[in-house]
Amino acid sequence: MTATSPTLKSNLSIVLASARMRLATISRYPGQLLMDIFIPIVFAAMPILLGRATAGPDAGENFAQNTGTSNYVAYMLIGSAAFTIVTYAFWHIAYWLRWEQETGTLEALYLSPTHRVWVAGGTALYSCLRSLFSASAAFLIGSKILGVNPFEGGVGLAFLFILSGLIPIYGLALLFGALVIKVKEANALINLMQWGVSFLMGIFFPIAMFPPLLRAIALLFPPTWMTNGVRSALLGLTYFFQEWYLDLAVLWAFALIAPLLGYWVFTRAETSIRRNEGVGQF
Amino acid sequence: MTGTVRVENLSKTYQVRQRKGLFKSFRSTVEALKGVTLEVRPGEIFGLLGPNGAGKTTLIKILTTLLLPSSGEAWVNGFHVQRQENQVRASVGCMLMGERGLYWKLTGRENLEYFGALYHLSPQDRRQRALEILERIQLGEIADRTVETYSSGQKMKLAFGKALINDAPLLVLDEPTNTLDVPSASELRAVVRDLHAQGKTIIYTTHIMSEAETLCDRVAIIDHGQLLALGSIEELKDSLRRDQVTRIEGVIPSRAVAAVKRLPNVQQATRTSADSGDLLTIVTSDGHEFLPQLIEALTQTGATIKKIAPEEVTLEDVFIAKTGRTLAEDTRER
Amino acid sequence: MVRKELILMVRYPVNFIASFGQIFLIVAILSLGGRTFSANLDNPPPIGAPPTSGNPSGVVIYGFILFMFLSDTLWTIGYNVRHEQVQGTLEQLYLSPASKFASLVSRVANILLWTGLLTLAASGLMVLMIGRLPVENPWLGLYLLVMSLAGTFGIGFAFAALTLRIRETAQTMANLLQFVFLILCANFFPFSALPPVLLRISRLIPLSYSVDAFRSTLMNYPPGYPELAPISVEIVIVTLFGIGMPFLGYYLYRRAEDHARRSGSLSSF
Repeated sequence: MTATSPTLKSNLSIVLASARMRLATISRYPGQLLMDIFIPIVFAAMPILLGRATAGPDAGENFAQNTGTSNYVAYMLIGSAAFTIVTYAFWHIAYWLRWEQETGTLEALYLSPTHRVWVAGGTALYSCLRSLFSASAAFLIGSKILGVNPFEGGVGLAFLFILSGLIPIYGLALLFGALVIKVKEANALINLMQWGVSFLMGIFFPIAMFPPLLRAIALLFPPTWMTNGVRSALLGLTYFFQEWYLDLAVLWAFALIAPLLGYWVFTRAETSIRRNEGVGQF
Repeated sequence: MTGTVRVENLSKTYQVRQRKGLFKSFRSTVEALKGVTLEVRPGEIFGLLGPNGAGKTTLIKILTTLLLPSSGEAWVNGFHVQRQENQVRASVGCMLMGERGLYWKLTGRENLEYFGALYHLSPQDRRQRALEILERIQLGEIADRTVETYSSGQKMKLAFGKALINDAPLLVLDEPTNTLDVPSASELRAVVRDLHAQGKTIIYTTHIMSEAETLCDRVAIIDHGQLLALGSIEELKDSLRRDQVTRIEGVIPSRAVAAVKRLPNVQQATRTSADSGDLLTIVTSDGHEFLPQLIEALTQTGATIKKIAPEEVTLEDVFIAKTGRTLAEDTRER
Repeated sequence: MVRKELILMVRYPVNFIASFGQIFLIVAILSLGGRTFSANLDNPPPIGAPPTSGNPSGVVIYGFILFMFLSDTLWTIGYNVRHEQVQGTLEQLYLSPASKFASLVSRVANILLWTGLLTLAASGLMVLMIGRLPVENPWLGLYLLVMSLAGTFGIGFAFAALTLRIRETAQTMANLLQFVFLILCANFFPFSALPPVLLRISRLIPLSYSVDAFRSTLMNYPPGYPELAPISVEIVIVTLFGIGMPFLGYYLYRRAEDHARRSGSLSSF
């Protein structure tokens, strides 16, 4: 029963096995999945409560003047849900090799004849499932608690924006993953990157508040388009290019470029590490 | 050469940064392997011995594709380690990281099935294989407990089982009996012998000399990145004439050891602890003709001699002769 | 210790930069989020303008400072115990003659010093970004900060006691507690934003008075501040919290320790 040659079927089986392994692992941390839902709601509640307290009864009106909608609850919840998706992508993909190293299984992974892209694919699948579950549950439950209707607007279109945004986000995470394995201060770097991207994508405010240069930089990040697309679909806000299909086209362009770029940079960084220090030194 | 493993003039250098104080640092080069050439024959158990930092792990990592060499070439099961990496990986079963190479939140069974997937076994084959391995390594009863609840010895057994998942013709085992109790270590060695009897080739690293002597067909001794000796156990022992090794038991202070080392023709003098006090092992180049000088040097420096025993050359003697230290010392220093 | 921190700073520059950057970004995100509720977003006051009453930035930043200290203390002490459990070194720690308490305190002291520096730097950055922060009554503010820190020490020890008992669940519990405190102690918004039910619970938590007194004092008691009780009452509560909680926390910790030694659970995780 020596290892057989890889086929597409066996590689896809590895993707599923890898996702299943991560799901089994997280299910054995008691309460973690509950926290995944609870934390985004609490996070969104902070600016909501701050805004209500400082603006009083004019909160909705002021917010509408600044953003285009008075439904600040849904606005913040969407931002928080988008933040969840971005955070998980970073911690699961950019941090993936570091996680394997901390677990002690990195070398075991590299000893197998499976190309890392399939295992990374399984990790990405796991990350997708977990983040979509958490983000959706947080949005629905948060809406219920804070008294708004989560199904206003184009839910289908919002979901399309999310799915379109996932691929470039994972590509971006892989790109950052290359930086992580080179620089090695993984925790610090990922914390900084996730907050940096979250700031740029305007999770709690419109990026129109940025000065022009910062706004231009923000538009280079796929999560910015995804977040605005979801908000516009659900809350009737304006798309960056006025029409939903134009914003979606931009996301799809990112979806083509970002994963390829991320993969190329990542494999180059990986090879350079193997050449000098070896896999165990990630 | 037509071995299962062929290594030709393999070298590996690392660039490391050394720091001095707050802001100063400089790069230096470490030569982990220097022009190693060897061959592992099909169906043999090949021992790899050497002190810490000798280059054994570097060699193993290159052979298993975890590390890229700086120069030289190597083939494993006929596949080139750089140009045919995936074929090399598919044809080797490895136990390199001990208990660390397992997912602690998964059960023993889940670990084996997951790694089976990584070796492209079908779901049915992985389940079957995991079942067989769990029975073989006697972990069937705890197979469905998470690995974090296993003892150290059980984790090592599971790690060994993981190396068998792809039923590879070549096994690389790095100190597989580490942390195992005596009965478990004995069971594992029996499994290794079974696998050997089935025709598998095994590269085996150990710090336990008796294990290497009883298990290995041939042994390579590596130190400072260089291959110092290679041959069967008998060939290596024969390379040291019996009367080149003398053992002295007694109370032997440090100044006595230093005095012995200054004697002409003394190649190595190593003091270790014994039940009755100290044991001084001396390797010389002229047999036992220098015995009177030796006794004089010891007694004049305060040593008390209880027994002089020119004994049969052991693998440990060969190791000491080649590297200047014992493996036991080296293990204690870890 | 200073030399060790300097060495770490130089050898791990990303860690150093990320610590500051992260805080700045978090506060910026929350502050900008709060500003979307402002009536005059198109004509904001110029940078350096005097703060308005109940300046939301002051509410956010001073609350954030206390949150950081609480979070670091909770994690450093509680998680430290957990980490030793997982590594298997907790038993070894107990085999040594060194005082475990002293060891924990010294580690926390290091962290608190570092957190203090970080919060100062982050505050400085925020001042550059959104205008002058009110810093009135600095000595009373410092006193309240020290008392609050002492109290959070005690909470940290109580949490360490919990970790010895419930082991892995403690990690999830730590996360949960942080966020519960975040809401109930109104670190990032005024207490007036809380629904009445939650406000009643907040009033039962001494840390709420720490947050309220600390930021009200530094903002020089704008109208409506402090929100929970008169400042004199809050100072008394915070003082009692700062003196009493460390003793209570340590007592709970020693009880949990003794229980673990009696039941043989020091080595299990």
